[in-house]
Amino acid sequence: MVVTRAGGELSVDGMTPRVRERPDTPEELAQLLGAAAAAGQAVVAIGGGRALGMGDCLSRFDLGLETTGLDRIIQHSQADLTLVVEAGVTLEQLNEQLERAGQFLPLDPFASPGHTIGGLLATGWSGPRRLRYGTPRDFLIGLRVALPDGRLVRSGGYVVKNVSGYDLNKLHLGALGSLGVIVEAAFKLFPRPLAEATVQTREPDLEAAWREARRALELKLPPTALELESSGESGFRLTARIEGTGDAVARVRRELGWEAAGDGFWDAYCQQTASTWARVSVAPIRLVEVLRQLPQAARWFAHAGNGVVHWFDGEAAAMRDVREVAERMGGALVLLAAPPELKRQLGAFGRDPSGIELMRGLKAAFDPRGVMSPGRYVV
Amino acid sequence: MALHPSALRDLQAIVGRDSVVHQRHDLVIFERDANIEGALPDAVVFASSTADVAAVMKVAAQHGLPVVPRGAGTGLSGGAVTVHGGIALSVSRMRRIDIDPRGQTALVEPGVVNADLTVEAGNHGLFYAPDPSSQKACTIGGNAAENSGGPHCLYYGVTTNHILGMEVVFADGTVTWVGGDAADRVGLDLCGILVGSEGTLCAITKVLVRLLPQPEQITTLMAAFPTIETASHAVSDVIGHGIVPAALEMMDRVTVGAVEAHYKAGYPTDAGAVLLVEVDGLEEQNRELSEAIRKILTDNEATDLRVAADPAERELLWAGRKGAIGALGRIKPNYYLHDGVVPRTRLPEVLHRVSEIGEEYKLPVANVFHAGDGNLHPNILFDLRDKGALERVEEAGEHMLRTCIDVGGTLTGEHGIGLEKQAFMHWIYSDDDLDAMRTVKKVIDPEHRMNPGKIFPEESRKQHKLVARTGATSEAKWW
Repeated sequence: MVVTRAGGELSVDGMTPRVRERPDTPEELAQLLGAAAAAGQAVVAIGGGRALGMGDCLSRFDLGLETTGLDRIIQHSQADLTLVVEAGVTLEQLNEQLERAGQFLPLDPFASPGHTIGGLLATGWSGPRRLRYGTPRDFLIGLRVALPDGRLVRSGGYVVKNVSGYDLNKLHLGALGSLGVIVEAAFKLFPRPLAEATVQTREPDLEAAWREARRALELKLPPTALELESSGESGFRLTARIEGTGDAVARVRRELGWEAAGDGFWDAYCQQTASTWARVSVAPIRLVEVLRQLPQAARWFAHAGNGVVHWFDGEAAAMRDVREVAERMGGALVLLAAPPELKRQLGAFGRDPSGIELMRGLKAAFDPRGVMSPGRYVV
Repeated sequence: MALHPSALRDLQAIVGRDSVVHQRHDLVIFERDANIEGALPDAVVFASSTADVAAVMKVAAQHGLPVVPRGAGTGLSGGAVTVHGGIALSVSRMRRIDIDPRGQTALVEPGVVNADLTVEAGNHGLFYAPDPSSQKACTIGGNAAENSGGPHCLYYGVTTNHILGMEVVFADGTVTWVGGDAADRVGLDLCGILVGSEGTLCAITKVLVRLLPQPEQITTLMAAFPTIETASHAVSDVIGHGIVPAALEMMDRVTVGAVEAHYKAGYPTDAGAVLLVEVDGLEEQNRELSEAIRKILTDNEATDLRVAADPAERELLWAGRKGAIGALGRIKPNYYLHDGVVPRTRLPEVLHRVSEIGEEYKLPVANVFHAGDGNLHPNILFDLRDKGALERVEEAGEHMLRTCIDVGGTLTGEHGIGLEKQAFMHWIYSDDDLDAMRTVKKVIDPEHRMNPGKIFPEESRKQHKLVARTGATSEAKWW
């Protein structure tokens, strides 16, 4: 395990912070961050600790700044379908509240349960339902962030449509805490579908499975999630989530002709996690080209309509080859978890993205002393 | 301020003499966009390629000139107005569309007109979702720069949700790709930051957009309500039932009167408000949803409930809605269109207040708006020839926006801050919040030459206004 929290121990890539703090308010967090940064201390924000293995090895680690004390649901405007929460609220806590209102936040990441909202936004993780609902990039409407200089800044707002000023929500999404610590977020919510069903099928070989996946995606009402898995001897499993009105769901089920999946399929599916975990992303239409490159015995789970495959327990050499294939297509292979030596060997992110100079410029402007998760992200 | 002769020569050398406009009498038509303020550029340069744009940027850098990218000039917040002079960089000749039907994407040049992309995509059974009301004229480059919306953004999301990547040119002439067709990209989301940056960070030279398969069926309902309040409650009730239609649009009595006289769309002119509701998807789904919606609307006092019988009737219903602003010319020669957003449930009280403000200032107000998003568009109608009219209009507009902010809303949902609302940015952002935006500006446009004088509140704002007001077209009595 990369992360151990037993007996209060906390280590990331084998490094233990000298100090840990668990502030109760955004103001307190900002103050702690500002003081640490001013003293040149390396700070890592920690939410549920579900994704601490993501990224390159830290070069320094002085302060572990835990966000789990920021656990308030600030406002749930049921009729407006909006929500404001603090970063330390877990996805489960949140969905429990939303469910009572017949609403939900369409986030269903792997390595559940236990993700905090702040952690999910900082890592940019999402799950199968992104096929219909997109990622937080599409439904995050506001953000409050503590910057290394100790200031708290807001971007966006509390309404579902807003183009007032730069969209700085995007600056922190998926930035792995390299520019600041997310303390609060506002979302657009979705009403629970009127009807839904989850159906499955298996195909003996990859090409047949891909054809079937494409058929599902080209339906007039495409699935809201479509997962393709390597499931060993029994072949490749496809699982689709269908949402809509009752009659529409019934028609899609007929057109697909797949079997009903067992109850609780998605909950179990999203609990999967691994200590060596790569995520490959390419243009959706080209995903099959990556899947063909994965070793025969590889264990993987693909968001078949999004061009993303999660690959567990890959070997270094194989991952290097697949990264090359993905990068040639304009995609990437990112390590979401790996032992430190493997990360050092492969690098968590691969080739520098286009625009890296500007990204580094932004990093230097917001974090001039380089104290935010140093070494962990590409900037 | 005239362009230095050597700068003019350098620009002409890039795009040719015919593609640089620099005589005062020619520049006048580029003084404005669809906002009320104007200022003359020193030159308008028509680019035909990324290379042109990059070369123009380099010349501008050498001569220290501001650059303001310009699409069709349909923007409503003054985003394309050259407040500090310099070069208006027109991309309207960059019109290539390259559709990938399998990948369901299109790579388009910034001068492509939004409706043209829709037509091209339609040939492949696809469509581009964001549909601003000006879609027959506005460009994709402008849509990307402003992060534009449109009626169908309720379900489908705004422009930023449909842009996968862009080729952009920065102030020093560097050409860079941001984003791309693969998901979960490595690095900071430059693409997400540049979309909606209103030309203040870069010029956009290519846009990679996501296309969607056309729905099997589209059902458009029209319903009349006795008052705006009852219509607003109906809107909330529809969404409260877990139904998010593709579009939920409202027009008040004033708008309906003007629109009906012009388009004969069949809107009931005696209604207090008319609602357009559209659902799209499988036939089964549309049937179930429109039945449910009909019931909800009826329960909320809807009268004259009608479903468009065929595509032609649907087109007509939408033509009225999308052409509403133009039709208002029947009432007064000028309009001032605002773009506030409020939490949807606050719409009735905000609209009530908007109408009170109109009465206080003795100005007719026509409301036409995206009710589902809480994005209201009060149109203040006036005649610029009336002494002091513009001042009253601006003051009234400011009060209306303030009303939106007071209930937790925002300044603009789809038009941008531009020149129009920069003075009000303090209402929604603290100095620190604005500072974070300025930090981004400083890193990406360190010489502050990309569309200067926009978005950020400026001390000298009032002076700009005066300069703009006494610009060439005002002298020429542009009405």
